[in-house]
Amino acid sequence: MVANRVEKDRDMSTPGHAWLVGLMAWAIPGAGHFMQGRWLRGALAGGAVWVMFFVGLWLGGHMYAVSGGQQGFGTLLQLLPMIANVGVGLPYFVCWLANAGFAEHAQIVTYESGNTFLLVAGLLNYLVMLDAFDIAAGRKK
Amino acid sequence: MRHLLWMAVFAALTAVVFGIAAKGDDRQKLIYGLKVFAEFIAVAFLLGWILYFIPFR
Repeated sequence: MVANRVEKDRDMSTPGHAWLVGLMAWAIPGAGHFMQGRWLRGALAGGAVWVMFFVGLWLGGHMYAVSGGQQGFGTLLQLLPMIANVGVGLPYFVCWLANAGFAEHAQIVTYESGNTFLLVAGLLNYLVMLDAFDIAAGRKK
Repeated sequence: MRHLLWMAVFAALTAVVFGIAAKGDDRQKLIYGLKVFAEFIAVAFLLGWILYFIPFR
């Protein structure tokens, strides 16, 4: 019985490459599916995230980053949306390095819509990442 | 009109990802994605009309 349990646990364990797929899926939206030959799925899911990200920037939205300027509750107010923004992966860090997309443009009519697009792009990429991870781990077809 | 357009784009992109991440075969995923899109639009219109009758000033 114990042997069966051990065997079952071994079957349920996550293969090592699934973690790499998950990491790539987070870093580059759609890459996790492409790595597994899921071309259409990757193009649709990754494409949706990319489009949402660029539309968000185009609408005048901005991304969040925790800086030393905030304290206490102010940090939390920046941290939660930052976690959502970071979900989009490398594009967030490219923008951060290029110092683009972090300035607030509240005077633009579509500013709030842009923010929402950018936040949701990151959150959706977390979902796409989990989908790619589950496929790599054999939990999903 | 522009806000409505962006809301529809948002709903469509979100529905695509939700549909892909859903369980089931391709047909079930497609139906789920369309359902999510329709629900986004319907709820947005409903909330829009409710807010229209609420005096904020």
